[in-house]
Amino acid sequence: MPGQLREQFLRELARLEEQALGGLDLVCESLDRVLEAVQHCDIELAEMVIADDDRIDGRYLEVHQGVLSLLARQAPVATDLRLVAALLDVIKHVERMGDQCVNIAKILPLSGHSPPAHDEMRSKIAEMGAQARSEVAQAKIAFESRDVALAHDLVRQDERINRLNREVFKLAIEIGDDPDRREWAMHMMLMARAIERIGDNAVDIGEQVAFVVTGLFREFTDASHPEMAPPPVV
Amino acid sequence: MRPHTTEAVTSVDQDPQQQQTDPTVGGTQDASRIAGAPLQRKPRRDVSQTGRRVTVSGLNAWYGDQHAVKDLEIEFAPNEVTAIIGPSGCGKSTMVRCLNRMHEEIPGARSSGSVELDGADVYGDGVDVVAVRRTVGMVFQKPNPFPTMSVFDNVASGLRLTGARGGKLRERVEQTLRGAGLWEEVKDRLGQPGIGLSGGQQQRLCIARTLAVEPEVILMDEPCSALDPIATLKVEELIEELKSRYTIVIVTHNMQQAARVADRTAFMLAGELVEVDETDKMFTNPGDERTEQYVTGKFG
Repeated sequence: MPGQLREQFLRELARLEEQALGGLDLVCESLDRVLEAVQHCDIELAEMVIADDDRIDGRYLEVHQGVLSLLARQAPVATDLRLVAALLDVIKHVERMGDQCVNIAKILPLSGHSPPAHDEMRSKIAEMGAQARSEVAQAKIAFESRDVALAHDLVRQDERINRLNREVFKLAIEIGDDPDRREWAMHMMLMARAIERIGDNAVDIGEQVAFVVTGLFREFTDASHPEMAPPPVV
Repeated sequence: MRPHTTEAVTSVDQDPQQQQTDPTVGGTQDASRIAGAPLQRKPRRDVSQTGRRVTVSGLNAWYGDQHAVKDLEIEFAPNEVTAIIGPSGCGKSTMVRCLNRMHEEIPGARSSGSVELDGADVYGDGVDVVAVRRTVGMVFQKPNPFPTMSVFDNVASGLRLTGARGGKLRERVEQTLRGAGLWEEVKDRLGQPGIGLSGGQQQRLCIARTLAVEPEVILMDEPCSALDPIATLKVEELIEELKSRYTIVIVTHNMQQAARVADRTAFMLAGELVEVDETDKMFTNPGDERTEQYVTGKFG
């Protein structure tokens, strides 16, 4: 086949993808900082995370506008169309993950500078955070390389977060007997919940990878119909 | 199996060798098996008309020794718009011109295979070519109203063929122009020359002229390529309306037009049918890599 037509368009599309996936790097940064803030009860750092979420929101607007513009001017079809639609989805998840980081950052000061911490709880939160970060990074690599198997592996990865989340819940109930630490434990549970949502968003991005590649959209896991989950792609 | 050539055309064929290498095609072309679908005598139009199913099988077409359409199998359903897309020279126009036996009018051109309208082969023995072209109407790229005729006569000329006269004729002209979405724009200038209309109006006049002879299948070969965007959209609206009464096949270079108007889209390349499917599927997730490459503009 002769040389590439629509080079200009393909360049724009590639740039849009880079922008959207770059949003995942911003999420990782935000997540790193908010997790550090949680570990050290660093409220100033948490405030920075809140302030810097404007960058992620700005990225959302840029990509959203870019998608509209490409749809209007270039009328992409087939794989190109699926990619554009997927990027709109990805950037929405990026924006949501940024907001979850903000949620965590907002919870932190509620317990004060030196809360009556519980080491096991804190380390589980740290573990969840690290796992969520690695999922976000993996979602990015899977998307960039259109690697459906790697995308599907996110489901397996995410099970770890879900398990930790249940453990945090149980711990919180146990700690709940102690009136001094009850409130702190509840805050930790909310943080765990926010991290758990970030993991879910990463899995959703993985679903978009499969959509771009195969043209079929299927949820990797369907919470309302677990029996209908597709077999894992290996 | 004899190839579809008129005597005159056969005589101008420069390459007898080619004649022998014609692939033979299956199926009989015996007109006697065509029951209840007379092409020779056109029946009165059924009010609940829905167009005819066009079944193309083993269709091949040549210009001299150039093999323009190769072993094509495709079906066009009533009440559906099928768009044919593909790069220039892929055989899409040739293919539709085979559907109403226009292809064989070109010197040196011939074809083989079968084209059935609800089971009746238009290439069958004893089939009246004029009746075929009346049943399978065609609209061309460039609007071509009869230059010396008024708006009224452009439509009436076709209607007279169906036997309409006098007051009934005027009524039918109005009805046909309304059917082509043109009546409101031309009702006060029916006596003026058809070529005095704008390009878009001329094209809809040509569509009205095509409708006047009561076709059941309408072929459109790049009907909007000479029109501005608004006139194009008007013709596309008209196509959508006509769909309820006819089988419509539209050849277009404009992929967005195919995406807008067609229920099904067929992609042709180098004389072959690569893929035909629901338009949605063709433009979101085509099955063939070559379709993907073409619709996304990677070649063509």
